[in-house]
Amino acid sequence: MSTWLLLHYKLPNKPSALRVYVWRKLKRIGAILLHEAVWVLPDLPRTAEQVQWLTAEIQEMGGEAYSWRASTILGQDDESITQQFHEQVDTVYSDLLKKLGKPKADLQELSRQYQQTAAQDFFHSKLGLIAREKLTSKRGEKS
Amino acid sequence: MKWVTWKNIGVDRMACIWLIRRWIDPEAEFTFISTGEKSSPKDGEPFDIPGERYSHHGGHCTFYAFLSENKINDPILTRIAQIVDEADEVQEVTVEPAALGLDLICRGLRQISKDDFEAMERGHLIYEAIYAELSKDEA
Repeated sequence: MSTWLLLHYKLPNKPSALRVYVWRKLKRIGAILLHEAVWVLPDLPRTAEQVQWLTAEIQEMGGEAYSWRASTILGQDDESITQQFHEQVDTVYSDLLKKLGKPKADLQELSRQYQQTAAQDFFHSKLGLIAREKLTSKRGEKS
Repeated sequence: MKWVTWKNIGVDRMACIWLIRRWIDPEAEFTFISTGEKSSPKDGEPFDIPGERYSHHGGHCTFYAFLSENKINDPILTRIAQIVDEADEVQEVTVEPAALGLDLICRGLRQISKDDFEAMERGHLIYEAIYAELSKDEA
């Protein structure tokens, strides 16, 4: 059974920049927004710290925030949540693989994209492994 | 004086402890309490605990708070603050590739240390090394 981190918060309506700031931070961490209501992340040492600090930061901004460690009551729900995390990174990986196949691909830019995505790849997607192998095999290739 | 933080120190707190001992309070004594526990005044000045003065503020790490609260102006320490920020906080802009590597090292260091006291000694060495190496850039 998986343990999840949940985050729910409320921010003042204005300035709207704060809302954007928090939203972007959660996207950057790789969190998923379930039903426009609650943000979810797997419970890992790094994500737990990130959620802890973000919760404190929202409170400091004058918002209200609560975060929990939780497990689903129906075990099969773990699978569907995990699946959503897979989909999130696989979209980027497949786009990356498509770009890698093109002549004169910008390898530096694509490696940067790969690293960013890999940091959110909590469940080790197979596509990520393929992207990584493709990228490393391009290394030193004279085009 | 006495200082208190949660157990299981990582990249930010190893840096803070090094900074405290080296620049702020050479006689510093440290206490490590359980994660999530509220510190009591008798334990000393809390740091890297949410809501405290020496903590994350405005998306910056605790090391950064120590520099600004104590008005420490040292270009090398400012550079280290940027590295720790990128290692320990969610950043959109990243300019220090060393950050992720340092985070990995500090996590591993804690894992192979028998307690936080041992980890902080080993962390001390890491930050001494970083400071020395970055000093060459500044010279």
